[in-house]
Formats: sequence, structure tokens, C-alpha cells
Amino acid sequence: MPLSVLLDNLPYLLLGPFPHGPLGGAALTVVLALSSAILSAFLGLIGGIALALTRGWAHVVLLATIGFFRAIPVLMLIFWTFFLLPMLLHINVPGLATVVCALALIGGAYLSHAVHAGVIAVGTGQSQAALSLGLTRGQALRYVVLPQAVRIMAPSFVNQWVSLVKDTSLAYIVGVPELSFLANQVNSRLMVYPVQIFLLVALIYLILCTALDWCAMRLLSRHAYRSTTDKTRPDLPIAPAIETI
Amino acid sequence: MVQVNGWLAPKYLLWLWHGFGITLGLAATVALSATALGLVLAMMRRARWSWLRWLAASYVLVFRNSPLLVQLLFWYFGVATLLPETAMTWLNAAHTLSIGPVTLGWPSFEFVAGWFGLTCYSTAFIGEEFRAGLRGVPGGQYHAAAALGLGPFTAMRYVILPQALRIALPPLFGQYMNIVKNSSLTMAIGLAELSYASRQVDTETFKTFQAFGAATVLYIATIALIEVALAVFQHRGARMSHRS
Amino acid sequence: MKKNSLIAAVLGLLLSMSGVAHADRLDQIKSAGVLRVATFDSNPPFGFVDPKTNQIVGLDLDYAKAVAAKLGVKLEVQATNPANRIAFLTSNKVDLVFANFTITDERKKEVDFSTPYFASGTQFIAKKGVLTQPAQLNSLRIGADKGTTNEQQVRAQFPNATIVAYDDTPFAFAALRTGNVQAITQDGPKLVALLAKVPDRDKYEIPPFTISNDYEGVGVPKGEPRLLAAVNETLKGLEADGSAASIYDQWFGPKSAAPLPRLFKIGDPQKS
Repeated sequence: MPLSVLLDNLPYLLLGPFPHGPLGGAALTVVLALSSAILSAFLGLIGGIALALTRGWAHVVLLATIGFFRAIPVLMLIFWTFFLLPMLLHINVPGLATVVCALALIGGAYLSHAVHAGVIAVGTGQSQAALSLGLTRGQALRYVVLPQAVRIMAPSFVNQWVSLVKDTSLAYIVGVPELSFLANQVNSRLMVYPVQIFLLVALIYLILCTALDWCAMRLLSRHAYRSTTDKTRPDLPIAPAIETI
Repeated sequence: MVQVNGWLAPKYLLWLWHGFGITLGLAATVALSATALGLVLAMMRRARWSWLRWLAASYVLVFRNSPLLVQLLFWYFGVATLLPETAMTWLNAAHTLSIGPVTLGWPSFEFVAGWFGLTCYSTAFIGEEFRAGLRGVPGGQYHAAAALGLGPFTAMRYVILPQALRIALPPLFGQYMNIVKNSSLTMAIGLAELSYASRQVDTETFKTFQAFGAATVLYIATIALIEVALAVFQHRGARMSHRS
Repeated sequence: MKKNSLIAAVLGLLLSMSGVAHADRLDQIKSAGVLRVATFDSNPPFGFVDPKTNQIVGLDLDYAKAVAAKLGVKLEVQATNPANRIAFLTSNKVDLVFANFTITDERKKEVDFSTPYFASGTQFIAKKGVLTQPAQLNSLRIGADKGTTNEQQVRAQFPNATIVAYDDTPFAFAALRTGNVQAITQDGPKLVALLAKVPDRDKYEIPPFTISNDYEGVGVPKGEPRLLAAVNETLKGLEADGSAASIYDQWFGPKSAAPLPRLFKIGDPQKS
């Protein structure tokens, strides 16, 4: 099987019909993953703070909502956002936006629990100390508790973002021309090289995810090093290898 | 607005129910195989020989950092072309195995490919959960078991593994929930599980809301049941350790 | 009072929004300057990716371009497979569907169809010698495309057949090649074109029977009479000035990869 066939199709797989058309392929995968990551981090922070602050009925409702988004398969949520969102908002929502929405909601649900766990791990001592120094609850949260919580839960964030890159492959089901969709197109056209095509695509994803993992871990270990050498805060835990789903 | 024009006809409800059955069957068989293989993988990561450890680490890297969808397409469309024709004919024919009163039928090739792909994928994650569980057992336990004269296998079986399992139980059940959710991806290789069935019903009846709603409810109910099972296991485990 | 004026403001906003939501689609297309269509991307020669330009081309694309030119707007193409066609149209992701869309009464409840521009029948591809009579279908595993009339017809006429539905025709063919299914079903012309591009085409054949008579038209959203009229006008005009014949010639003519005589012209009466 000539390598040239694979190499000929590589630019299409990486960029889609760009520049003679909209961006597609691996580049679109990266764009999808990035937008969903940012949105889900935002939702996760809000959700985590809400989990930490609410009590009683509001807390139960919040837990149920987050539980719903963690229980529903990503595929089904993409179907829902794809079909229902335009009907609800009465505007034309591009396929890309519906996928980003679905992925951000699910990522946000997982990250809410991660942020909440991080806030608990920081311990009440820190927030009480902050309050005794005269900071308001909001300021205590923003300047004292959250920075430490996020640093503790950083591995969870990285895990979730790696999952996000993989979940972008599901956009194929609703016709978004990212990497898996284009791989199927190319495979349908060539017909006789499925093993090579899918191996190549798996390799591209492998490189993307591993690079993300590696970069993030390097950034984290630098942070951990800095904080462990900070003698004034001996009780600050080093980022543990907490493996969340 | 949203169309809610009546419930689904019994014929379509039956399709959804069949699909749900396949989802459950697939998830159960994958959970069994992936748990067994995950344990093997976790042990391999702690092996004495570095090439075994390296092999296990590479397995985890490759299967965790590539999407399940691509893996499923690879097994079903890719590897299927590499298998010899006699193997493919055998895999696609209907076989039955009678054990006493029970007759087991060989499932469709889609099911087999879906089971294989999903097992490979889930083994990587479950293996890591077991590894974390094994790491969580204090080193003193190994020494104590050795001091009592237990060989390595007996020590593993009666002392280390039970404790490791107790630690790994919540994330393990989390992975089982993931298996149920990930089974939805097998619709891409033609397996008529729940998401596929809901899509089929939607295409034929155009009752989008009802079709997807029913499927979503079934998925959530299954996940909730697994959560309940976890709570029951943990409660019983805590009670037993209190008693001893 | 503040509460009443608030209610009035909200009602007014809702009314104005609902007014906007029901604006005529044809006007929206013209003011946006873009016609969004859904076409196939893996089904030669109706819609497929040209490897030299990485653009989607085909018979359906040519018709779509003609309609866009008539309306005086740009054409924007959304790639689809049979399973997603209707979804794209009913959720307002595209304005028209040019994807070998078979006209059925069931579908007419959800979408409108233009006058037919293509005719075909449901046929099969199988390995040589496997399928000679329609009755054999009841004992075979048959690959079909999700959401197609072919799948529904086989299920209705051959209830004992095992049908495995895939997202698109090339998947079904891959399953045929590996032996997962023993025959695949699609519209005759599509199968002819598919087989023409396959490297090992000598192993397969299309048995010379069909189990239906189908007509394909352009999918138009329900309740858009002006858009429907514009599409119909364009199609009839293409037939009248001979463009329809030359489009057909390019993809199915004697010099093409999969020659098929043209038996149906736009405006011909339909066999029931």
C-alpha cells in the first residue's frame, strides 16, 4: 500500500478544505476542544463554588442537575442539543455550537465536583483565617481558597480536557467536519485502506492527547515545586495524582 | 414549538426495549471481561520485569489517549479486512451452545466487535483504577503477610487484593457507569443498541422528543441503579469491617 | 403600574420574536445572500469529495448550484449522510436538501418535496452468484443505510431478512466486502456508480431486479410555498433549456464511469 496515498490525504485530514473552504479536520478538533475546555472550566468553577456555598433544597437540585449531566451519554446529549436548542431559541444554531454546548455542559458537571472536592481539600482553616483577617466571604473564596483548590485539582482538569479532545470525535454523528468525520469521508472514497486510515487518525489523536497531557503535567509540576519550597505554607499539599473519571 | 403529538406506538416501544436489552447485555459482558483483564493489567504494571511494565504502560497510553469511536471503527471495518475469510464466515454464522436447559446463541458480529473494542478501551481505565487501589494499600501489609508465612500469591489473594478492591470500589463503579454510556458509541458500527434504536424510531416516526426522551430515561435509570449498587456494596463492606 | 407595563413589554417582545421566527424563508435566504443546502459527501456521483480540489461535487451539487444561481445567492454546502438529512432540514440547519431524497407519503408529513428530478428503484449488490431471486432476500443478512426508503422497503417486503443499518453506503459496502453482510441495498444508480469505483468490482454483481419504483426530489421545509415554487421553477427551466440533460450526461452519460440511460425527465408523469 503506497505511503503516498496516506501522505496525499494528510493535509485534508489535518486542515479540511481550508483555505478553499471552512476549517476542518484536526484543526477543527483542536478548536472544538479548546472552546469546550474554556467553557467547561468556567461552568465547573461556578458549579463548584455553588456546591460549596449552597445548602438544603438548592444544594439537592444542584446535585441532581450535575448528576443528570454526568449520567447522560455524550452522544445522547449531542442529539438533544442538536435538535432541541434551535427549537428552544428559535434561531439558527450552527452544528459546531451545539457540540461545544453539549461537551461544555458535561465537562462542567465533572469539573464542578472536582472544584468542590478541591475546596474541601483546602480545608476550613484557610477560609476561617481569611475571614479573621477581615476579608468578606467572596474575597476569601476568590483570593485564598480557590487558587489553592484549583492547584490541587489541576490533574482532574487535565484529565477532563484529554477526555474532551476524544469526545470531539462524536461531532461526526451530527455532521461537523472534524477529524473522525473526514477520516470516514476519505475511507469511503478510497475504500480499500481502512486499517491504514484509522491507524493514522488514531495516531493523530494520540499525539494531540499525549502532548496536552505532557505539557499540562510539566506546568503543574513546576507549580508544585514552587509551592513545596514555600516554607510559610507547610500544610499545602502537593498536587496528588488523583485519578478521576 | 416542540412537537409532542402522542406517545410512541407499541411497535416502536418494542424496538427501544430491544435496544435497551442489547445495551445492558453489552455493558454486562464488557464489565466482566474488562474487570478481569484490568486486574491482569494492574499486576503487569507492578511486575518485576521492566519489559512487562513497559508493555502495560504503552497499552494504557495508546488505548486511553485515542477516541473510542476511532477504535471501534478500526476493529469493525479495519481489522475485519485482515481476518481470513473462513474466520469471518464463522464469526458471522449463527452458532448455538446448549448447556443443560440453557441454549446460548452466538451474537452478531457487530456485538462481538463492539464487545471487543469496548473491552480493550475500558481495560485501560479499569487497570489504572486497580493500580491506584493497589498503591493505596499500606506497605506494612505486605511485610505483615510475609511475616505470617504467606506466599506472594496467597498474600495477594487474602490480604492485599481485598483491601485494594475496597479502595478502588467507587472509581471502579464509576468506570462501569462509563461502560454503559460508552456502549452508545457502538451505534456507529451498526449495533442495534439503545441510541441506535432511538435514532431509528425518530427517523420513522419523527417523534424526536419521545424517542430520545425514552432512551435518556432508560440510560439515567441504569446509571442510578449502578450508583445504588455502589452505595449498597460500600455499606455492606463497612459493616463487615466493623464486625471483624 | 410597573407590573402591567412589564407584562406588556414581555408580551410585545414575544410577539415580535414570533413574528421574526415566521418570516418567509425565501426572503431570509435572499437577504442573507446565502443558500444553505445539505448534500451527500460519500455517494458518487450524487455528492462526493473530489480528491483534487477537496470540494464536494456531483449531480445533486449541480442542481443545487443552479437553484442558488437562479436566486442570485451564494451556495453553502453541509455534508450529510442519509440518517441526518431530515434532521438538518427540520432543525433549520439547512434551507434545502439535495441528497437523492426519495419522496414518500410518510416524509411528506414532515417536509415538502419539489417536483421529482430523478427516478430509481431499490436494488442490491451481492457477491457473484449469491443473489438471483428476490425471494432469497428473506434468508440473507442485508446491509442498508439508516434512514433510507430502501431500508424501510426491504423490511416491509422481506420481514425475515436480517437488516443491519449503517450510517452511509460505503460502510455497508465495507461490511459486504468483509462478509459481515451478504448483500447491500440502495438505489440502482447509486449502486452502479459505487461498483464502478471499487477496485475489486469483478467479485460483485447487481442482480437485475428491483423491488420498488422511487422518485427523488428536493427537500423543502414545510410551509414555505414561495421557496418551493422557486425550486420547482428552476428545475422545470433546467429541463426546458437542456441543462438537466447535460447534467445527467456528465455523471451518467456514455462517457462517464457508470453509464445509465436517462429514462426519466423532470415533469414526466410518475408511475405509482
